[in-house]
Amino acid sequence: MQHRTVLEYRRYRYFKIAGLVVVASIVAYFYQTTPVGRYGGTPVGYALGTIAAALIIWLMWFGVRKRQYSASLTSTQGWLSAHIYLGMALIIVATLHAGFQFGWNVHTLAYALLVFVVGSGFFGVFAYLSFPAQLAENIGQDTRDSLLLRVADIDRDLQKFAIVMPDNLARSIDDSVNNTQIGGGVYNQLRQAHPRCATLRTIKLIEAETNKLALQGEQAQTLHKIYDAILRKQKIVARIRRDIRLKAMLQIWLFLHVPLSFGLLAALVAHIIAVFFYW
Amino acid sequence: MKLLLTRITTSKPGGAQRTDEIIDAEILQIGRGSNCNIHLTDSRVGLQHATITKNSLGSFSIEALGTMLIDATAVSVAVLKEDQQIQLGPFTLVVLKPVNDADLALSLELTKVPESTTAPTTKQYALSLKQTWLSKRVLSWLSVSVVALAFLVVPIYYALHIPAMSMAEAKSQAQNQAHTNSNLKPTDSWNPGPLDSSHANFGRDCTQCHQTPFVQVQNTSCENCHKTIGWHFALDTTQAKQLHENIFANDDNVGRCASCHRDHKGTNALKRQDSPLCTDCHRDVKTRHEKLAIPNITNFTTDHPTFQLSILVAGKTGKAALTRISQDDKSKLIERSNLKFPHDVHLSKKGVRSPNASAAKDGNEVLTCKNCHTPDETGTRFKPITMKEHCQDCHSLAFEPAATSREVPHGNVADVISTVNEFYAQAALFNKPIDSTSNRAPQKNTAWVNQKAQSIVTEMMEKQVCFSCHTITKTNQSWDVAPIAVTQHWLPKSRFPHSQHSTHECAECHDATKSKSANDILIPDIKNCQGCHAGNVSVVDKAPGTCQTCHGFHVGGPGAGTPAVLPKAPVKAPLKTPPKTNTNLSQVSASTYMHPLGSGK
Repeated sequence: MQHRTVLEYRRYRYFKIAGLVVVASIVAYFYQTTPVGRYGGTPVGYALGTIAAALIIWLMWFGVRKRQYSASLTSTQGWLSAHIYLGMALIIVATLHAGFQFGWNVHTLAYALLVFVVGSGFFGVFAYLSFPAQLAENIGQDTRDSLLLRVADIDRDLQKFAIVMPDNLARSIDDSVNNTQIGGGVYNQLRQAHPRCATLRTIKLIEAETNKLALQGEQAQTLHKIYDAILRKQKIVARIRRDIRLKAMLQIWLFLHVPLSFGLLAALVAHIIAVFFYW
Repeated sequence: MKLLLTRITTSKPGGAQRTDEIIDAEILQIGRGSNCNIHLTDSRVGLQHATITKNSLGSFSIEALGTMLIDATAVSVAVLKEDQQIQLGPFTLVVLKPVNDADLALSLELTKVPESTTAPTTKQYALSLKQTWLSKRVLSWLSVSVVALAFLVVPIYYALHIPAMSMAEAKSQAQNQAHTNSNLKPTDSWNPGPLDSSHANFGRDCTQCHQTPFVQVQNTSCENCHKTIGWHFALDTTQAKQLHENIFANDDNVGRCASCHRDHKGTNALKRQDSPLCTDCHRDVKTRHEKLAIPNITNFTTDHPTFQLSILVAGKTGKAALTRISQDDKSKLIERSNLKFPHDVHLSKKGVRSPNASAAKDGNEVLTCKNCHTPDETGTRFKPITMKEHCQDCHSLAFEPAATSREVPHGNVADVISTVNEFYAQAALFNKPIDSTSNRAPQKNTAWVNQKAQSIVTEMMEKQVCFSCHTITKTNQSWDVAPIAVTQHWLPKSRFPHSQHSTHECAECHDATKSKSANDILIPDIKNCQGCHAGNVSVVDKAPGTCQTCHGFHVGGPGAGTPAVLPKAPVKAPLKTPPKTNTNLSQVSASTYMHPLGSGK
């Protein structure tokens, strides 16, 4: 059976439902005759606001639902499909509710948070559609642990070889063994380029020194082995880093998506209370 | 091909143990995968790490998919030679001399640190986001707390604890803070949009309008300041009040000021300018009240009734009133101002005889509309025309050709008579010629004076001077000058700012040059307006023409249809018969002729 993504779930069932919600909202928005402009305070505006608020609560319920492994009425995949499409629809419903009126206030804060939450969700959809394939391609037959073991093996070889090398090279190889950073903080996990990598430094040093040193005999052979080993190490390190990066990218948006959605919930409550407190 | 594989394992005390194994296969597969002939159980080895095949020359070659080191150098293909050391992951293969009937002999040994005991050589860093400081739970609590505190808890606490402020205090506070925006109030973040500019000077004190939490803004909030604003029609009678009650008060949507006047919609958006404000009810007024006797209107261009001119009529008895006459009813469209004024004569291209030497050419001055019609202070309409200002320069009130500097006073027949009498009496008394050029002194007796004055006054009243402009009837002993009733505001239910139409020539709307009589009404009809103004829907090439373009909702409001000031007619009290009622036109109340129940009142 051909693999189907959550987006295609049940022949785009939730795409169609979300489309209906959007079309109905747009029709209602433009069909309404309002003497005081189109905004959240007209009957249609209140209706759109109620729908949007209900959608927010329902979409956030996904966080609870996906942890209920026993729930079987609908599949979690179906919920995710609906979560994605109705989340997209929510942006349009909320924009119509706002009547395109924005300002520096709690009402627009709620809208902005909504945009960020849905926007990060968009990234999540993109991430889950593209990164898993890249991850599989990158890791191939290996695992991250096996790659780390191979780095460790190479490192031990390097340490062995380094003993007969001139001091500056030996120090640099030692630096590569001890200070090649794999992973680390949020930024280091997410960054693509690692220009200050200790292994890279060592490679550059070897490339620069080989001709100058003009080593002979066994020493020259060892240097050749070192160079060969460190290039292999560099390739493996790059693969591990890419693995870490792609996995971090798969998760990082959730650290925006989830906290901002709770912030949105608070802003939504503040928005509703503010509107009716000073009705 | 037969392979003799010798596995070398090292036991704890250090002794090597060798195990021989014969593998017979066409192709030898080496790897972690279970399908491999040489199965290497270590994650550092690939599933299909390398294959050994016999080549055409009879030797064996090894081809690697994973990393293969020969003499510590990575290669992908190699021909096997005796004593060659091949590193595959942590394992080392050594090519041995084949014995017995084997084609190839290899030894296999784990030469690197075993997988289970391998310690990392590099420093350990976090390899996933879970191991970093990032925490969805902490960030969520943070995000909820900040938003709830800043935009909910603090504003509510503030709103419930601020002392009530009077309007004056709110304004003075706003004034004190006028130049500093730093003084933010917690409730500022609740403000959904800019207040109308008229409310901006106190509006940061929300409670000035929003007096009770969770209750919509009530009319009392508005009426605190807008004390004089009228309703849709004057509520000066019980009947009117009842009507208002029936039409508006029971309809919460219409009866609330804020149902039309929505603030926080921009600095100039408080007044509704849309036609449905009016047509929602006026498209079918009977649904509002069955006795309403006004026509239904939905659109200025399609079903707006013909204008009804409010004509001021001062009858011969002196009783003045406004009557409304449709412009369709042409036979009744006569202004009875009791004046004689042919516009055509005054606007003649040849000009009129004029004492104004600077403007006149050959004694004639060409007049334009502006000579008499001066805009009022608002530029909306025109100042009333007065005899002294606009007529008397040409229409001198001199009565004695020999003494043109002497004029009778304007306004009262008795004064005219006495002035003339006094003039001739004085001439007779002093027996002097009436003017310096004459050498004939008048006769020195009352009979002469009476006869002279009588003939002069009669001439004025019945042939020229007064008679030129006024409608005068002879009474027993005197004359009766009909009271003047010049209509000042023809369409008092609408507004027409002349200043906004000043780019047009007067004659485009008012056909004055052909008017021969003061009875002519020169007010253009609705078709004239429709020529430029569209209706509810905006049209290319047309100026807007919503209801609010001409009408207002509130009685007495600045945009109202009702005249803010009723015409103060330049009417003097009639000479003989004193006024009975309503002579002072400034006291004609709006409701007298504005009542929506029609003319029955």
